[in-house]
Amino acid sequence: MRILIVEDAVRLAALLAEALAKHGFTCDRASTLSATEDALAAATYDAIILDIGLPDGDGLDWLRRKRGQSLPPILALTARGTLAERIAGLDSGVDDYLTKPFATDEVAARLRALVRRPGARASPVLQSGALRLDVAARRATMGEAPLELSRRELDLLELLLRRAGAVVSREAIETALYSFDVAVTPNAVEATVSRLRKHLDEAGATGILHTIRGVGYLLEDRP
Amino acid sequence: MIGASSKTRSLAGRLGLGLGLVALVGALVLLGLVAVEYIVGAEEPITSVQLAHEVADHVVAPLFVLLGLVTLAGSFVIRAALRPLARAALDVDRAAQTAPRGVRIDYSGFPQEAQPFGAAVNRLLERLDAAADAQEAFASDAAHELKTPLTIIALELERLPADVGAALRDDVNALSRLVDQLLLLARLDAQVASQPPRDLVDPGSVASELVASLAPIALKASRNMALEDSGGANFLGRREAVAAALRNLVDNALRVTPEGGTVTVIAGPGARLAVRDEGPGLSADRLADLAQRGRRAGHASPSGAGLGLAIVAKIMAAHGGALCTDAARRELILDFTRTEGANP
Repeated sequence: MRILIVEDAVRLAALLAEALAKHGFTCDRASTLSATEDALAAATYDAIILDIGLPDGDGLDWLRRKRGQSLPPILALTARGTLAERIAGLDSGVDDYLTKPFATDEVAARLRALVRRPGARASPVLQSGALRLDVAARRATMGEAPLELSRRELDLLELLLRRAGAVVSREAIETALYSFDVAVTPNAVEATVSRLRKHLDEAGATGILHTIRGVGYLLEDRP
Repeated sequence: MIGASSKTRSLAGRLGLGLGLVALVGALVLLGLVAVEYIVGAEEPITSVQLAHEVADHVVAPLFVLLGLVTLAGSFVIRAALRPLARAALDVDRAAQTAPRGVRIDYSGFPQEAQPFGAAVNRLLERLDAAADAQEAFASDAAHELKTPLTIIALELERLPADVGAALRDDVNALSRLVDQLLLLARLDAQVASQPPRDLVDPGSVASELVASLAPIALKASRNMALEDSGGANFLGRREAVAAALRNLVDNALRVTPEGGTVTVIAGPGARLAVRDEGPGLSADRLADLAQRGRRAGHASPSGAGLGLAIVAKIMAAHGGALCTDAARRELILDFTRTEGANP
């Protein structure tokens, strides 16, 4: 996967590019917004890592100006968590954000998640550790062994895998899995989750699916 | 108040003393006049009863009438002249409790003699504001500038062997947390000063958002998180600050909860948010100590625990709420029930 790193701290950009290369990403670097424009004109990227504060302008303003044009998914870098909340809250064109300082594993996981999103130049196979889901063929496997899942369990697994490493709310699952005309019993989601968890446990992926009581569920993002 | 000694006698006291002296001197002068007229200058000597009558008529009565009127008028004038000063003092006191910045006294009603004093007080307040603004800007810039080198250090550490790097990485994370908290403190001061519009805060949505965003971090550290709905009620506040306070409590709770344990965020009952951990519980004395300790930045622990609770206490004070502990239930509670707009 090809990534553009937009960051004015040259040493930081170099370290990040070198570390991400070990995770299988090919990284180009730009240290100004005008260099970013040049890079985008010259190549196609799967995602952009964008530092918000740049010498020739604010990254968020730049994104706002680019609204309407098709850009790869954006992972924003910011120095402060409170600002990050506002970036996520505003409809700024930022798809995800990371607060400095971060670990390379974290950046790699977020990039993988961005590229997995529907609408991105998505690979049709979603993966976490040995667990794989071929979205088009509706087939889940653990290593070499196939998983026998119902349609609803497959839908749930796809939803959780697309957002692996993050909490998926129970409401989001209800909306995605059940059409509006079907009355959802309060524990229908729970029942589906526990059936999926049983399948995963039996296949050897013990403890990969967590319940966040009162909020939703989280499928671990394993390398 | 600076030393209410004999030197700082009230204006009414000074007036009383002055009038007493006037009465004494006046009485002596008048007595002298009476003596000249009736004893020295009289054709025939008068009796002591007549003398007493003369003294009463010409000395005591006029003095009493005059002094009485002067006292009344004097105290009225003093009180009226000082009322704006008392009001200004009250305003400054009240403002100091909530908004320590942007406060100016209204000295237009001050007596002319006190006008320069009023202007000088306002100049001092202005200078204090400027100093606070400058300090805040410095803290904010410093925090920003620190984050990039911290990131570089973190990335460099990844190149070290895992066992060497891990301990140093923890240190970098602790340092980064401290920078975050200092930045948050600076921002809180700025918010209190500018008094932005307040939002209607729903404890349930603040809690579920926070649990969703921190659960992945908790799971990586082998702890789980949960949300309990005890019937939250909306209240007026700054959502971002409330979320920051709750986040600080959760950070704390994750630190004291053993591996495999669960940190539970509770929305409600009413305008309350609480965090339950599986640590030893925090007594009210210890909580007060920790919330206080962080105010002296020099004693803040590098893990940020002390500073974190001090920040929470500060956010709660700005909302007119309270940070409480229930040691038996291992809960720390953000109580907004007494804030404006809260439904009890």
